[in-house]
This record gives sequence, C-alpha cells and structure tokens, in this order.
Amino acid sequence: MDDNNTPHSPDESEDQKNSTRRNFLKNLGLAGVGVATGAAALYSGHIFEAKKEVSGDQKVLLTQDGKLVQVDSLEIKALEKTGEELLISQGREGIPGRRWVLVIDLSKCRNARKCISACQDAHQLRPEQYHVNVLQMKDAPGTAPYNMPKHCQHCDNPPCVSVCPVDATYKRPDGIVLIDNDRCIGCRFCMAACPYSARIFNWIEPKDAASHQGKDYNVELNVPQKLGTISKCLFSADRLREGKLPYCVEACPNGVYYFGDENEDAVTNGTTKETVRLSKLLRDNGGYQLMPELGTKPRVYYLPPKNRLFPFEEAGDATPEKA
Amino acid sequence: MTMDDNQFTFDKITSDLTHHIRINKGFLIWMGFLTVSLMVCLYAYSIQLRTGLGVAGIRDYVTWGMYLANFVFFVAASLIGMLISAVLGLIGMKWLTPITRIAETIAVAFAAVAGLVIVSDMGRPERLVYVFLYGRPQSPILWDVTVITTYLVLSLLLLFLPLIADMAIIHRKVDRLPSWLKPIYKVLSLNFTDNPQQNKIINRAIRTLLILLIPAALSIHTVTSWLFAVTSRAGWDSTVFGPYFVSGAFVAGSAAVIIAMFFFRKNYKLQNYLTDLHFNNMGKVLATVSLVYLYFNINEFLVPGYKLKRADAVHLHELFAGKDTLLFWVVQIGGLILPILFMLFHRFRKPLPIMLISVAVLIAAWFKRYIIVIPTQEHPFLPIQHVPQNFVHYSPTLIETMITIAPFILVLIIITLISKFFPVIPLHETAREKGIEHFKFD
Amino acid sequence: MRFINLFIILYVCSIGMTVSAQTWVVPDDQKTVVAPFLFTPEMQKQGEQIYLKNCQSCHGLMGKDNWAKLTPPPGDLSKELAQKQPDGELFYRITVGKAPMPEFRNILSEDERWWVIAYMRSYNPKYIQPNPATKASFAGRIVTLDMKYDDLGKKVVVTANEELKDGQSVHAAGVEVALFVKRFFGKLQVGELKTTNDKGLAIFEFPADLPGNKEGYVEVSAMVNDPKNIMKTTGAIATLAIGKPTDMPSLTEGRAWWATRGKAPVWIILTYTLSVIIVWGFIFYIVYSILKIRKVKKINL
Repeated sequence: MDDNNTPHSPDESEDQKNSTRRNFLKNLGLAGVGVATGAAALYSGHIFEAKKEVSGDQKVLLTQDGKLVQVDSLEIKALEKTGEELLISQGREGIPGRRWVLVIDLSKCRNARKCISACQDAHQLRPEQYHVNVLQMKDAPGTAPYNMPKHCQHCDNPPCVSVCPVDATYKRPDGIVLIDNDRCIGCRFCMAACPYSARIFNWIEPKDAASHQGKDYNVELNVPQKLGTISKCLFSADRLREGKLPYCVEACPNGVYYFGDENEDAVTNGTTKETVRLSKLLRDNGGYQLMPELGTKPRVYYLPPKNRLFPFEEAGDATPEKA
Repeated sequence: MTMDDNQFTFDKITSDLTHHIRINKGFLIWMGFLTVSLMVCLYAYSIQLRTGLGVAGIRDYVTWGMYLANFVFFVAASLIGMLISAVLGLIGMKWLTPITRIAETIAVAFAAVAGLVIVSDMGRPERLVYVFLYGRPQSPILWDVTVITTYLVLSLLLLFLPLIADMAIIHRKVDRLPSWLKPIYKVLSLNFTDNPQQNKIINRAIRTLLILLIPAALSIHTVTSWLFAVTSRAGWDSTVFGPYFVSGAFVAGSAAVIIAMFFFRKNYKLQNYLTDLHFNNMGKVLATVSLVYLYFNINEFLVPGYKLKRADAVHLHELFAGKDTLLFWVVQIGGLILPILFMLFHRFRKPLPIMLISVAVLIAAWFKRYIIVIPTQEHPFLPIQHVPQNFVHYSPTLIETMITIAPFILVLIIITLISKFFPVIPLHETAREKGIEHFKFD
Repeated sequence: MRFINLFIILYVCSIGMTVSAQTWVVPDDQKTVVAPFLFTPEMQKQGEQIYLKNCQSCHGLMGKDNWAKLTPPPGDLSKELAQKQPDGELFYRITVGKAPMPEFRNILSEDERWWVIAYMRSYNPKYIQPNPATKASFAGRIVTLDMKYDDLGKKVVVTANEELKDGQSVHAAGVEVALFVKRFFGKLQVGELKTTNDKGLAIFEFPADLPGNKEGYVEVSAMVNDPKNIMKTTGAIATLAIGKPTDMPSLTEGRAWWATRGKAPVWIILTYTLSVIIVWGFIFYIVYSILKIRKVKKINL
C-alpha cells in the first residue's frame, strides 16, 4: 500500500500515515464546500475552454454562491483534504464495500490478556480503561466457567447511536461504530444505552495527555483521547485502512480471534494468519451472538467454549488501582 | 375561615397581599446566606470544570449519578405548575386561586434550574450549543431540551399574565414602595386599566396557555423517563415509566407547594388567605397523587418480580434485600406508605402536620430518584470485572454533593426573589372572587 | 496464593515451551537452500512491508528489542540469534512455522518469504549473500503451474509442468497443488489439496457461493504444496469471473433510529418539527396578544 516506510516507532508512523494519505482520492459530496469552490472555479474555466475533451457524463454541482452548475465529470478534481479534516471525513465514510466482522473462539481463550495490553497501548488508555476486557463467565451453576473477551459489538441496530443527541457516535457503511471526540458533549447517554457495557469515559485527563498534545486527532483511533468524552473499541479502523488486522487480533498468542469481511465470507486468524470461510466457521462450531434477544444485531460472533484443553484460572491479579 | 367575605375590602386585600414587598433585614440576611452558599458550591463546580467529571464519584459503570437523579427531581418538582393551574384549574376548582401563583413560581424556578443541572452532568459543557447545531431528532435528549425550554416559557407566561393586573393595582394603589420599583411595575402592567377588552385578551391567553401546558408538562417528564426507558437495562426497561414518573412528579410537586404555602403564610402573614381549608385540600391532593404513585410502584415491582428474569431478579434483590435495602424501604415506607396513611386523617392535614409530612415526602422523593437512577447501573448484564473498587460501587464525593446542592440554593433564590417583589397570592383574582367587581383606575 | 499458583504454572509452562523451542531442528538439507535471486533494495522494501504486516506484531520493530512477551520469546530478528542462521534455515522456519509462530506457507508466496529474509539481512552488515540457486544448479524438480477455468464443467484446471535438465518441458505428475482465493487479510484455501494426474492436471471444483466482486471477479492463485521444500516452484495467478457477484448495500442505507440526523425516519422529523412549530406558533401568538394589551384604548364606562 504505502511504499515509503522505513523502520520507525508506532508514534512516528501516526504522523507518516497522514502524509502518505494525501493522495487519497475523495468521493465527491455534492454539497461539500471544498468541492463547491473547486466546481465554481472549474465552471468559469469551462466557459472559456468550451471545446475540451468531454466524457458525456455531466454532473450537477452546487457552487458557493448557491448556483447549480453542470460540469463534465472529467473536469472535476476533488480538492485535497489534509490533516484532521481528512481524518474526520474518511473516518465517517469508512472503507467502501466492506462489512467487518469479528469471530471470537472461546475454546481457545486462556486469559493471556495480550489483546488488552496491545489495545491499551494503541489507544492511549489507562490500565482500568478497556476497549476490550476479558471477563470470567459462568452461565449457570452447573456449567463450566470460561474466559470471554468482550469488545464493542458494533451492532447493526446500535442502541448507543440511536440515543446520541449530536451525531458524535455514528455507524459507518462498513459496519464500524465510531466516536468523534471533537463532537461528543459528554452526556454519557450512549453508555447507559449499551447493554454490553462496552463504552468508557475519560473522567480525568487521559494518559500521557501532554505527549499527545498538538497531534492531529484521528477519529479512527480515538487518539489523542479527549477529557470529558467517550471512547470504545473501534475495530482498529486505522489498521484496517492499511490492510492490517486489528491490534487485539494480531496480539493474541492463542488463536482466539478471527477478523474479516462478511461480504467476502472470509475471516483471518490473527495468530495463525489462516484465512477461513466465515459461514463455515460459524456453522461447524455453533457460532452465536451475545444477547441477540435484545435485537442489537451484533457484528461480533462467539464460538462456544467447548473442548477446552487447559484449566480455567481465576484471574484475581488483573485489577488496577483506584482511579 | 377567620373572616367573613364581606369584611374584605379592596384596600385591605391590597395591603394584606402587598405589605411583604419591601426590603427588610430578614430578607437581606436570608439572601446573603443563599448567595454565600451558592458561591461556595460554584467554586466546587469550577474545580469540576477545570479537572473533569472525575471529581465526582461516577465512573464507567455507574455513569449517571447524583447529578442525573437531581435533574430528574428538578423536572419532577416543576411539573406541579401544570397540575395545580391547568388540570385542577380547568375543571374549575375555585379554592385553588391563592395557590396558583405559588405553584407557578415553583414550576418556573425548578424548570429553569433543571436546565442548569443537566449542564453540570456534561463532560463537555462548553459544547452545549452542539445540541442545537447538530441535534438529532431521534435522540430523547433533543426532545428533552426542546420540551423543557417550551415548558419554561409557557410557565413564565402563565406566571406573568395574571401579574399584569396586579402590577397595575400595585403601581397605582401602593404608595410605600421603593421609588425604583414603581417604574418597573408600571412597565410590567402594560397600561392595564381593567378594561373588558384587555381582560378578554388576558383570559384568552391564559386559557390557551393552560391547554398548551398540559401536553408540554406531560412531555417533559415522560421524555425524562424515556432517558431511562429507551435502554434495555433491568429496572429501566419499563413501559409504564412515563406515567410512573409523572405521578411521582405530582407527589414531589404537591409536597413542595405545601411547604412553600406554609412558609409564605407564616412569614408574609397570609393566614386569612391561605387557610386551613387550603392545607386540608392540598393534603387531599397529595394523598390522591400519592395513591396513584403507589399504584404505579406496585406495577413497577410486582410485574418483573413475578417473572424474575435474570437481570431483573438481581436488580430487585438488591433493592428488596440487598445493598440498597435500607434506602429503598425508608423511601417507600417513610415517603409513600406512611404519609398516605397519615393523610387519611383530618388532623394530619392541618398546616403544621401536613407541612412536616410534605418535608418527609419531598426528601424521600429525591432519594427515590437516586434509587431509580443508580442501582440499575451497578449490575449491568455482563459482570463488572478487572476495574478498581470505585468503578464497582458508586459513592458520591464532597465536590459532587456541593454541585448537587447548588441548584437547590438557586431555586430558593429564584422563589425568594419572585415572592418578595410580587404578590404571592393573585391580587386581582382574589379581589374578584371576594365580590369586588370593579376597580377604580384613573 | 492464587497469584503464586498462577505464577508457578506460567513458569513451568515457559520452561516447557523454551525446551520445545530449543528442539526446533531444521533438517540439514533445508539449511543449504538458497534464494533463487540476488536481493535488491527493491526486494528489501517489499520485504519490509510484509514484515510490518505479518511479523512485527510478535517480533517487534527491527533493532528495537520490542518483541511481544511470549513464550518462547520471539526475539529481535536483527540480532545474532536470528542472523547467524543460514538463509535456508530462516526460509524453512518461515515456511513451516511452529506454534505459536504461524506457518506462512499459504500466506506468503516463496518470493515473498525470500523478500522478508532480504529485509532481515539488510540489518546485518556482515551478511554476504550466497550465490543464488540457478535452475542449472538446482538438483530437485522445477515445477511451473498454469491455470485456466473450464466454463462448461465449472472447474478450475491447474496444469503442472516440469522443466527437465535438458530444457524440455513435460507434464508433471504427482505434484500436490493447493488453490487459493484472495481475501482482504489473506488467502483462503479452496477445497482440499489435489495431486496432479499423469497429464499434470489438478482439477478443483470452485464453490458457487464464494463471493466475488460486483461482477463476480475473484483473484485465484494456485501454489505447489511442498512441505519438505524440495522443489523449485512457480505458482499461477489469475483474476476470473467465477465468484458469486456480490454487491451488498452499505450498512447505513435507509432511515433508522440510529441513522445520522440527515437519515432520520421521515415521521420523526415531521412529528418533531410540526410539534415545535405549532406550540411555538401559539407561544408567539400569545406574546403578540400580550403586547396588544398596551394599545387598547381606555374606555370610560
């Protein structure tokens, strides 16, 4: 994808990503102010150079002074967006044609908690702030306990998004539910509405706030984290844009996570890198969703914790100090 | 009644109902005390503004704490204006006349401050304007902001309209007023001369307002209940939350009105106007709305308690015999069942006893909101694990408590100012009802 | 107590896994395998991209010693422990893997695996690349795959050709072939491994329900399965219109409670707007009529 990478630290790569994405071609929004300005300029040029190459495909654009103009599609150039503006707009549009899906194989989870630390490092989170948490579950008195990694379920009927008063949290065409921390007013209605307790709040100054100051805010990473606003699992939207698996999926040493695109009917295991068919994986292993009766339509599937070959360890050591 | 109706002359009524409009030492001390207290609490809020909501005890699981319970309480208390003026007024209960302005004052004060209470719960209060810029019509918060603003404006108008005539009377007939107040009253009186055409306009406007007020008031508290009921959490996921909240609001509001009546009667010497009859009747109103509230309480607990779905079972256990038991039963018995029993007897509907009962009811009403808001969040569907203890159990901090008290001080300030500079009891209407048909305006 | 128990278990496990790691022996004949080409800076660049995507999550960034804390420790590949191994040994380890290290045989092509080694070696100034294996010097079979789609039979037909020492090309029998379809994060194997018949053919049924793009195009690749790494192979790759045409609508189509403001259900927008207009219309009317009170002429009765 990008070809000018040299070895660098993850922090440096953040800045690099922005510059390598300058060439990213934007879809044209008819009402976009930038496009409108460009169109107005192009229109005046169009009058003077009427006999140019024409594709026959005419587009109607709205100029800044409110006129509708018709311009040949060959003559339209998207104005380049840069920096935060680009990060926000691409973060709202998502990756076209995809429907991301996560599969969690509970039979393999031994509570190594590598997913948690990889995630917390990537998203500037304190130890008690979880985008993904591994819970110790026991469904009924007679059933065996098991470890259950719990992410945001990126529901197709997301109750958190329904209640947001300002469009700060939104669902993207590719299924990811994101949060714009520059828009969030901190009412925490979404936290109350989420039945999976997936959302967290920056009650105090975020971790390492000083060292993140002045960085471009990336809505697909929720970094820099912002005081008084919400954060949660983002399916590592920034990594997907580079064709990489999410942080947690890559970090798992036990092959618990599969991540992929439902439209391709394929998911890739983060540990073995093996790609399998989603439908077959779910069919053969009795895949299920968390609390489907709530009608939230999660994009996360679980494979039941059967045939575990290791003992269940109670995790009493993973509780951070008061915050 | 202590006096026959024909003993009321226009001058006596005017003097009785306006003699408290003066700046005396008691008023200054009381206002000074309120102002200083408010400053202390605002200092606490400035700390929260600087360092974030983390100064409060709320964390990722109990994410709505006392601030939100407080908000619900304030919205609830403001509903009384609609019950007294609109519902009871429209069906023609004449004895209400001296109480209407008290009810409207309480409504205005609580509704105005409710808007501020919710700002204190925001992580980013400086982005409040986003609600208007980017408001989503699907979000109950937008509805709530809309209906509370509407209700506040309606209540202000309803407070103001009957005041026009009173202002006209005062600025003409009361001579001993401070000179700087007179021009204000003159402006507010809008050249009112008790002209039939003017009365017609005012009466029509009041009638329209009363009709608009009923849906607006029902909306504010129904929508507030939906902040909870639209989620799927145990204890909130309920279809009767709207009427449950509305009936609870009438209980809190009626109690607030009775307390206010008691102190106005005593401090402003209104014994001839706020009589035992009014306390007796308001006691009956409070008993009635309490019974309705009890009915909804039974629905709210018996129905899920019968099925004991997993999350509901945990929730109800915590309330009935678990962590929140003490608070729950004190509120339910001390704030609802015992008051109803007492109020069945006439002797407990005398001014002092009914005031004391109302104080108990009002305090219980606040803690009832606490019980509705907080315990539900302490046991979500999935277990709370690997987080610090203060994430698991909510305990309010000192700063949070001060920020919670601030709105009460503000309400007292608003009520004090309104009642100090305007007649607590509608002058013009009272005179009319006492048979004084016409005033001599020059 | 529990914590100590856990610690002991982890410690014992780590010893066990370290021991097993030490026993990861590479067959001698694999150690001598060399790359088929000379490493170029371009290859190192490609190798870096592959490294960052597939290896960095465990091995960390080169020279930074920030590998993941796993057992056995993955180690920094720029350091001596890795660099002292001959190219063939590294190639073998990447190819076959050993839990928890993945097997990259089906994830990276042979060339790609060599590129990663090229990238690794760029951190070793002392490294001198052995002479590349030329076809002439290679002792094993040299197999090239060819692929086409049989429209009638709805099958993918892979042909294996073998280059003999005298330069002649013949159909290669007995070669194990795997078929893959490219997906976003990796290659999805289609069906089972097939062994080529006497005519050098391996025929794969292509599942009819495997999604392609809008027009049904999928990128299909065939690779030789050569676990012992004794052959020199070239796979085949083609983009064929044999997938199920898939054009799923975006997940944000249509109006919903959870949609953005612009896509709110029409009835909500109408109800909200109308209610506000009606109620505030009345309010403005009332305010207007109040202002009229001032202007009513005094009538003397």
